[in-house]
Amino acid sequence: MNCRDLETQLTPYLDGELIAEARVEFESHLASCPTCPGHVEVERHNLSTLRAAMHEASPAAPAAFRAKLFENIARDSNRQQRLSVGRVAAVAAGVTFAMVAGHHEYRLHQRHLYEQDAAMRHARQFPLEIQQSPDAIERWFGGKLDHPVNVPRFPNATATGARLLQVRDKPAAYIRYDSARPMGLFVFGDDHDLDVGAEAELGSSHGYNVVSWREGDVVYQLVGRDVDEQDIRELLPPAAGETPVTNPRLDVRPASLQQ
Amino acid sequence: MFGFSRSNQNRAQFEALLTPWLDPLYASAVRLTRNERNAEDLVQDTVMRAWRFFEKFEKGTNFRAWIFKILTNTFINSYRRNTRERSLQDESERQSVEARFFSAELTEQTQNPEEFLLNRVMSQDVLVAIDTLSIDFRMVVILADLQEFSYKEIAEILDIPVGTVMSRLFRGRKQLQKILLAREGESAETIDLNAFRERKKLA
Repeated sequence: MNCRDLETQLTPYLDGELIAEARVEFESHLASCPTCPGHVEVERHNLSTLRAAMHEASPAAPAAFRAKLFENIARDSNRQQRLSVGRVAAVAAGVTFAMVAGHHEYRLHQRHLYEQDAAMRHARQFPLEIQQSPDAIERWFGGKLDHPVNVPRFPNATATGARLLQVRDKPAAYIRYDSARPMGLFVFGDDHDLDVGAEAELGSSHGYNVVSWREGDVVYQLVGRDVDEQDIRELLPPAAGETPVTNPRLDVRPASLQQ
Repeated sequence: MFGFSRSNQNRAQFEALLTPWLDPLYASAVRLTRNERNAEDLVQDTVMRAWRFFEKFEKGTNFRAWIFKILTNTFINSYRRNTRERSLQDESERQSVEARFFSAELTEQTQNPEEFLLNRVMSQDVLVAIDTLSIDFRMVVILADLQEFSYKEIAEILDIPVGTVMSRLFRGRKQLQKILLAREGESAETIDLNAFRERKKLA
């Protein structure tokens, strides 16, 4: 090692960062060199003076600041606890809500798809397979579907014919009613995929109104133009214990047309 | 409640680890920011960040190095956001610094007997001198000479190689000595400082 080598290692030497071997070499040069020891001493002195001055000039954290700091940690800690409890509750509530809302949305959407399909099929006026009385129609459907088909008797419209059709994926009975405003009724089995209840609800698609209601696992969709609220009230299925829709109270036809 | 007691236990643990280093953190922050109010903000940000990431701290490892890393990172982030002072982390400059570290010119300078500092350097002068250092030199000098971290710790704190720690430390100290000697020499102090800065720019 020469004086130049020593200079390059002086900083790590003074910082105690030289590995043992290098330090031995460094110190053996120091022991034999006439100039280096003085230089190393100056540097050692300067470094310790510098460090001492830096330490002396170091301010302590003010007490008020320390207090505020620990207060903030405590506050943040409490908030985190509240948050974590609150977060779990909020997430749980959110998930439940999303599931309920999502499922509800889904069922509403499904209903709309069925309304669309029913309206479209009704509009295409498929040829009927049977054109007879309501009783004959009911008999004709016997065994053709997984559910019995009752042909609802409406005061203002009479079932005149029927055929087998589908609404989307579901095999359905299609019953045509002739009246001033011809209507088609789809009857199909549904294990509550659709958001349809006992209460009739009005939807619309392709310029048709679609009234949907349910009786157990059977969904009814009545499609017609200009089916209005008045018609809906007339078409409400008979609630349990009530007299059927043929109840004269619901018969809003002109008196001359009433039977 | 389980979560409750665990969190309180965590907090006690954190505060116990933090307390001995609050003064060093604050002193370092004052030198980094050159301003007591900014130092409080910096320490506040550092401590809250450390507290929130405390789960990520590996228990039993070097808490002091961990929290100083957060301090310097927080400082660098806000510093870079607030100023346009260039950093020496630029590769070409870093290489030139390392080249100078081994230059004959500096070797000769250090052998100049005039460089013997007076035994009683005024603390105020040291502060002023440190404040003139560029951010990268200042950080290394603070970590090494004020906090007495090892090169390896500083390398980890600042994410730089050990060789870079050493060269920055060498350069930073030389610069400090130069400034302090100029102060002691009273007469031409500003000229010397300016001359020093000019030479630094040109080099």
